[in-house]
This record gives sequence, structure tokens and C-alpha cells, in this order.
Amino acid sequence: MIFTNYLVCFFLVALGIYCMVSQKNLFKITVGMGLVDYGVNLLIVSVGFRSGGTAPIFNISELTRSSFFVDPIPQALTLTSIVIGACTTAMTLCLIIMLYKQYGTLQSDEIRRLRG
Amino acid sequence: MTTLLWTIFHVLVFPGLLFCVVVGVLLAGLDRKLVARMQNRVGPPLLQPWYDFLKCCGKETIIPRHARRGLFLAAPIIGFAALITVALFIPVFSYSVYSTSADLVVILYLLTAVGVSMIVGAAASGSPFAGVGLSREMVAMISYELPFVLVLLAVGRMAGEGSPLGVTFSLQAIVDWQTVNGNLLFHWSLIPAALAMLFVIPCEIGMHPFDIAEAETEICEGTLAEYSGPPAGLFRLTHCVKMYVMCALFCVLFLGGIRTGYAALDALVMVGLSVVLTFVTMSVPHAVCARFKVEQVFKFYWTVVAGLALISLILVWLGL
Amino acid sequence: MYDFMYHFPVLAIMALFLGAFLNSLVGRRNAKVRNTVVVLSMLAALVMMLSLVKPILLDGNSIVYWLSNWAPVEGWAIGISLEVDALSLFFALIVVVAVFVSGVYSFFYMDRDDSLVNYYTLFLMLSGSVLGLVLSGDLFNMFVMIEIMTFTAVALTAFRNTYEGALEGAFKYLVVGSLGSTSVLIGIALIYSQTHTLNLAQLAAVLPQADNPVTILAFAFLFVGFGSKAFLFPFHPLAADAHAVAPASISLMISGVLTKCGVYGIIRLGYCLYQNMDQPFVQYFVTGVGVFSMFVCVTMAFNQHNFKRLLAFHSISQVGYVITVVGLGSALGLSAGLFHAMNHTIFKGLLFLTAGAVQHAAGSLDLDELGGLSKKMPHTCALFLIGAASISGLPPFNGFASKWMIYEAAFQQAGETGNFFFVVVCVAALITSVLTLASFVKVAQSVFFGQLNPRFANTHEVSLGMRIPMWILAVLCILPGLFPDKVQQWLLTPATLAAVNAPGYIDAAMGTGYAAQHGVEATLSAGFGMSGAWQPVMWLLLLISVTLAVCIVALLGSDEKATVTSEISSSEDNDPKYDSFFSGEASVYSQVGGSDLFWGFKHNWRHYFSFMHNWHSGVVNDYTLYGAAAIAVALVLCVIFL
Repeated sequence: MIFTNYLVCFFLVALGIYCMVSQKNLFKITVGMGLVDYGVNLLIVSVGFRSGGTAPIFNISELTRSSFFVDPIPQALTLTSIVIGACTTAMTLCLIIMLYKQYGTLQSDEIRRLRG
Repeated sequence: MTTLLWTIFHVLVFPGLLFCVVVGVLLAGLDRKLVARMQNRVGPPLLQPWYDFLKCCGKETIIPRHARRGLFLAAPIIGFAALITVALFIPVFSYSVYSTSADLVVILYLLTAVGVSMIVGAAASGSPFAGVGLSREMVAMISYELPFVLVLLAVGRMAGEGSPLGVTFSLQAIVDWQTVNGNLLFHWSLIPAALAMLFVIPCEIGMHPFDIAEAETEICEGTLAEYSGPPAGLFRLTHCVKMYVMCALFCVLFLGGIRTGYAALDALVMVGLSVVLTFVTMSVPHAVCARFKVEQVFKFYWTVVAGLALISLILVWLGL
Repeated sequence: MYDFMYHFPVLAIMALFLGAFLNSLVGRRNAKVRNTVVVLSMLAALVMMLSLVKPILLDGNSIVYWLSNWAPVEGWAIGISLEVDALSLFFALIVVVAVFVSGVYSFFYMDRDDSLVNYYTLFLMLSGSVLGLVLSGDLFNMFVMIEIMTFTAVALTAFRNTYEGALEGAFKYLVVGSLGSTSVLIGIALIYSQTHTLNLAQLAAVLPQADNPVTILAFAFLFVGFGSKAFLFPFHPLAADAHAVAPASISLMISGVLTKCGVYGIIRLGYCLYQNMDQPFVQYFVTGVGVFSMFVCVTMAFNQHNFKRLLAFHSISQVGYVITVVGLGSALGLSAGLFHAMNHTIFKGLLFLTAGAVQHAAGSLDLDELGGLSKKMPHTCALFLIGAASISGLPPFNGFASKWMIYEAAFQQAGETGNFFFVVVCVAALITSVLTLASFVKVAQSVFFGQLNPRFANTHEVSLGMRIPMWILAVLCILPGLFPDKVQQWLLTPATLAAVNAPGYIDAAMGTGYAAQHGVEATLSAGFGMSGAWQPVMWLLLLISVTLAVCIVALLGSDEKATVTSEISSSEDNDPKYDSFFSGEASVYSQVGGSDLFWGFKHNWRHYFSFMHNWHSGVVNDYTLYGAAAIAVALVLCVIFL
């Protein structure tokens, strides 16, 4: 089952990159970036998953050698990563709005004053 | 005190200022005479470059309105000083002054600095002709730099053989290696490099077929268009001294094994070899070739000359 | 070392972040309060880092700071740490000095912009994140800092959002930069899946032993990620776009500081975490990327018409030098790389600030339009020439000292291994240097020399407040060039030794003996053998004495010189003999456009240049494709050869 996770997350990353490369619409590029983010988040969570483990929520007194839980660190990492992803998206969208105001288009191949 | 006096002697007399200027002026005069004879003219007297310099010194220095005064006047002096410094680093066979810190890369960059001083002087003069001239000077510099670098690396590898690092950049080490193992010119794998170096010499100096930066007939002396009086004289003197310095560099790189043990005799041998080199690399091409175009110079140096040097480098690297 | 110094790393980072917070809190009311907050937080960081020089760089200690005092338990690092060894501090010093100069410059440079509170908030956050990155002892923290750095840099790039192309540059930077960040994050996830730790010291102990395909993939991902933050080939179009449109003070930060973070990451990755810099494949790979970056970018600079865009390409070219020698895997190479990294921050910072001064004074950065500014802005011109001489590696400036070490390192590596590849590297480095020189001759001729475009007749020299930061950098350009042996002794050797001394790094954090227990040994010997010699002070004395000699000889010949000069100043205004020479025609405005210089060179390379021009298409999709291709190539190569 965890193998499916890895497959899906690499599929998501690949799909996202494909989307960023092939789509000319700036919003679709943003969607591609989002997909890549989700793929990576899934990867991190899957890395910490242990089959049969409980949620890692304990008092210090409840914690024993035999307690079996999923790795909490990747979950914390994922939270951070999700926040960062949200920031990226917000920032991209914000830039897109202003770009549209200046260039009057959302096509990436028309926004190329800086080149060569 | 003695060391200080010796330093002053080295800087001012031998192998510094006086020696370089005398030999450089003689070489330049000889070159003009030889070219004239080859073209069936009488030619100017041998000391003509020196007379030119003296005459320049007596003339007024006109600083054009668009020029940046300080740089315009400082550029010739800095360039000349950098060139004399190179001369101090080059050992006159056994007589070496500062060769412990002499290093191929330092010499390469000091020679570049000489070119740059001319470029900065030209830029500071604010003339459009000088603008064209400096751009051509820069293209010439790019052209000869690649073969020059390849030659230096080939020599450095050959002479570094047997040292713990396997390579050397030190000029003294190169000379020492040649005294033991024979001159590099006679190692067959370095003959293409020596040929390439012979081509580098006239371009580095800016002699006739490669004098794209000055090109009197096209761009009115290019980089020197606005110069007059003593600064112009100093640039011309730099040009003369450069002839000697480049010939001396060739001698050290490829004929460094010649060593009589007497400084005066060594200096004489060096001058003699420089005369031969001047004849081969400057006078003959000057007499028989028309000026190259800018793009031809670049193409020639990056294909033919660089190719020759590369062959040597690869041969040396293969241990041949 | 005093005990309270252990808190300095975290306090320095917090000073900058706290400054950002306070600035947005109180800065809106009053410009003076705002500036005070900014200066104080920058100064605090600067002073704290400088005070660490003696204990860490000179005495060889290192600071490990466990946040909330969560020290390692049973050989597992459970807390988040800051670990400051000589390498970290070396980069931290670069960062704080650059931040300080850039900040002071901004006060005067940004005087015509509004919403400066936002500017300084973002600026301090950028500074704090960069400092946090180089001081961090935790891989995930490095990622978080990279992200903060990218966001603030993007926002600052777009800060002058009415400026032509500012938003576009920022957008490309954000999209393609996110690809690099993602690459780092995937690398971290893969490493965590194998080692279950993110502490750098513990990773350095565990990773070299855990040699399996997953960690190798992680290496490739992390390398590309850090490489993208250093804008290495093929991520360099981002840098060009971002630098050209950002305010000059931010260009300094991006080129001088952000790229250094990528370099720092790559050094940590190769020398400390994986310790695989002695493997031939890694050497070829890293050096190859460096050579590509330095050569492609220097030729791209020939095509540019914008002052800052040209500088941007040179910036990546110089970072290419750094990566090239870092990849050689020798101690000499590494110290040459560190030296050049430091020098690059200084001279490129200086050049960007002079570009900013030109922009501020003349209002244009177009190389085909400017010209003759040297008479209007003599100080800026002199400063530019110092910077240009440094970056072109003319002696006796700092660029020469470090470039000379670079050639030494490359050539020596070639000699020792007998491998022709490193000869090619050496030749490429030397040629790149000449091309750099050519490029700066172009800038000098088309901005400062030549004739003044009548449009810029009213240009004035910039204010003293803008010149002082530039002079600071100019002095920093000259001093290391004159005393490279001191720099070597005080900065480079400690930093190099720290970088190659993985066991020391591990033991400092995880307790003595931890490295030996995991079988980690120092892989590189720290020999600094040189195949030549370079004594700049002696050389300079020679040059000065020769110059004096020439001056004396020249003065002996001309007695009338004094009268001549006085005549000039009196009659200069109307006498036609002081006009430029025009073959007898009347003098008119004529300036050789920047892009027309070096025709002979460009003509021979026209196919290459037109290919490159099309390749840098400016379309964000293409740049993403290059980035994705870089990741793919790195993955494939690493899996095959490692």
C-alpha cells in the first residue's frame, strides 16, 4: 500500500512539472506548482508512515519502549511544507494579477520582455 | 643599503628601464630598417624611434575636451611601468633578479595590464576613433590569449616533469629544467607550440599585419588618435620595449638552457636572439603581408595558431 | 571563548528577524525610527559575527547551539541545532558585511521610492534567512531558510513593480526557483527515509556509510537544488532576469549573498555530508557544471544591452569559477574557491552599486544610450574601474589573487592526476577571464567614457551616502589583493580545514568519538602546495618604483609642462584644437554603441550567439524545462556513475 503512495507522489510531481513546462497559461503554471508541492508533501508523509502505528500523540508518562507509532517528524515537516506551498501559491497569484494589469495577457510566451 | 642600491640599479639600469629602452629602441629601429631594405627602400636611421620619442617629448600635450584628464595622462605611465616590471621578472638566462616570484600567470596578466592601460587611455580620450581602436585592441587580445595560454600550459607541463606537482608555473623552474634537459625548442613535441608562440609575438605587440588596433589608414591610429606630446611618446616607447620583452619571453620559454654564466655575455646573447626573433616574427611578415581584417585575425588565431599550440599541449600531456 | 558568545549565532539571526518585525510594527510612523531599527539590527548582527572571528577562525573552536537545550540523546540528535564552524562563520561574515553595505546604500539609493517599510522588512528577513542558512546545523532548517530567502528575494525583485520587467523577472524567479526548492525538499525527504535524522552532523556520520540508490538520488536532488540557488547553469537565466530589474541594493544581495548560500550548500553537501568529493565522477560533474556556467554566462554577457543584466551574467560566471574549483576536491582548490567567493561578493557588490549609482543619477541603464559619464561622475567612474579591474583579475586587485589560485589549483590537479580534463578547465578559466575583461571594457567605454549623450547633460555625482558604501567595498577589493597571504592565514585556511574536517564537525555536535564510532575519517589532506609564487606587495613596490622612475625621467625632459597645463585650462572652452579628432570634419556627437564593440569577435561567433539568444527565450516554460532537464540529467548521471 505504501508503495502506491510513492508511485502516486512521483506521478504527481511528474505531472506537475509537465504542467509547468507545457501550459502557457499562468494560472495553469500555478496549478502545476501546486501539484508538485502536493506530490512532495505526500512523499514526506509516506516516508514517516509505519504500518500499524498509532498517531504520535502521547504524554511523556505514557511513552514507553513498546509504544508503536508513526514517525511524527515528517508530519511536522509536511505542515511546514504545506504552509510554504500556500505562500508560494499566494505570491504567484499576486504576481499574476499584477502581470495581467501590466501586460494585458496571461500567456507566458507573450510575457518575455527580458530575454536573450 | 647595498640591497637598496642594487634594487635601484635593477629597476633603473639592468635589466630594467635603461636596458629595456635601449634594446627596445634598437630592435624597433632595426625592424624598420630591415623592412625598408626588403622593400628596396633606404629606410630611416637605426635610432629613428628614439628621435621620434624625443620629438614627442618636446611637443605640447593636448588634452581633448571630452577626455578624462587624470586617466588620460596616467594610462601611458602605468602601462609602461607594468611592462618594465615584466622585464624585471624575466630572467636574462642565468641573471635573474626577481624570478623567485616570477610566474607565468603573473606575466600573462601583467602583459594584459599593458594592453588594458592602452585601452583605458584610449577610452579616456573620448574620441570615436579611439573607441573603435580599443574595441579592436580587445579583439586582438582575445585572439592571441588562447594560443598564448595553451603554449604556457604546454611549457609548464613539460618543465614540471619530475617535480612533485607534475606541473610548474615558475619561470625559474622552466629555465632550470632547460639547463639540465636541453632547450625546449629542440623537444620535437614542443615545436608546434614554439611556432604558435612565434605567431603570438607580433599580435601581442601589434606589429604590422596584426596592427588592427592602430590601422593608421582606416581609423587614424585608433587607440592613439588623441595622444600627443610626451604621453604619445611614452606609448611608442612602450611599443618598442614590448618588442624586446616578448622576444625575451620566447627566449626564456624555449631557449632557456643557454647559459654562459656571465651576465654581460648572457645579455648579449639575449639581444642577439631578440634580433633574430624580430627579423623572423616581425620584419618578414611586415614586409610581405597586408594588414589582416579584424575578423580574420580572430579566426586565424583561434584556429591555426591555437591548433598548433593544442597539438603541443596534447603531445606533452601524452608524455611524448 | 566567553560563555555568552555561545548565544551569538542565534542572537544574530534573531536580531535581523526581530528588526524586520519591529520595523513593520513601528516604522510606518517615522522614517527616522525605521532607519534606526534597521541600522541597529544590522549592526548587531555584524558585531556579533565579528566578535566570533577570534574564537572560531583563529582559535579553531566551534559553537554548537541546541535550541531549547535539546541536546542529543543516545547518539540521536532530537533537537534543532545551530552549528558554527569556521566554514559557516566565513560565509556568515560575507553575509553580514554585504548586508550592512547594502542596507546603508539603500537609505540613500531608495530615497525616491515609497512604502519603504515593506522594503526594509523584506530586506531584513532576507538577511536573517541567509544568515540562518549558513549557521544552521539542520538540513530542514536550511530548506526553510532557503524558502524564506526565495520569497523575500522575489518580493524585493518585484519591489519597483512599475519598472519595466520587474514583475516578469520576479515571476520567473518564483516559478523556476520553486522547482529548485522542491528539489531540495525531495532530497531531504529521501535522506530522512534512509537515516531518520536531519541533523547535519549526524547525517555526516551516517550518510557516507548508507551508500544506497536512495541516498545517491538524494545527493543529485540536493545538488541541483543548491545549484539552482547559486543560479548555476542552466538556472542562470533567472539570475539575469531578477538582477536586471531589482533595485541595485537587492542585486547586490542576490548576487553577493544568495548565490553564496548555494555555494555553501554545495560545499557542505560534497565535503561534509557525503564526503564524496574525492570520487572522480563527483569532481567531473561539479567542475563540469562550474565550467559550463562560467563560460556560457560570460559569452551571454556579450549580447547584453542592459548594464545590470550584463553584470548579472558575469555574476553567474564568477560563481561558476567558484564551483569549478570547489569541484576539484583539493584543499588548494577549496580555499581558492572560498577566496573567490568572498572576492566575488565584494567586487560584484561594488559593480552593482555603481550600476545603481548610474541608474540613480542618469535614470538609464542602457549601454547603447549612456556614455561619457566619467566627467559627470568621477568618483563612480573610479569605483567602477576598481571593480572592473578586480573582476577581470588585473593585478594587484583581489580578483587576481583568487583567480591566480584558481589556475594554480586547476593546473596542479591536472598535473597530479595527469588528466586532460583539468587542463581544459584551466584553459577555460583563463579564457573566461579575458572575455570578462573584454566585457568590462565594453561597459567602461559605453557608460563612462566616450562622448556624453546630450540627454544626460544634467547628470550629477551621487550623494556621499551612496559613495561611502562603495568606497568601503573598493577598499575591500584592494586589501585582500595586496595581502593574500594574510587572508589565507586568517580566513581561508581555517575555513578550508573546517570544510574538509568532517569528523571535527560531527564530534563537535554529537560528542567526541561519534565520528570514529561511525568510521568517518578526514578524507582530504590539507596540503597547500603551489606550483608558482605570487608576492603582490613586492610586485606593487616594484610597480611604484618603476612608475616613479618613469615620472622622474619624463619630468626631466619637459620644463614647459607647467605652463602648458595652465594654458589649457584658460583656453579650453573655445579652442577647436581641444575637440576630438574627426579627420578634419566638424566635431559632432558620436559614440560607438556598446553592442557594436568587438565586432570582429562577435562576427566569428555569430552562430553561437544567435543560438544562445534564442535559447534564452524569456518564456517561463522553457526555463522550467531547462531546470527539469537539469534534475533529470543529474539523477541519471548520479545513478549510473555513483
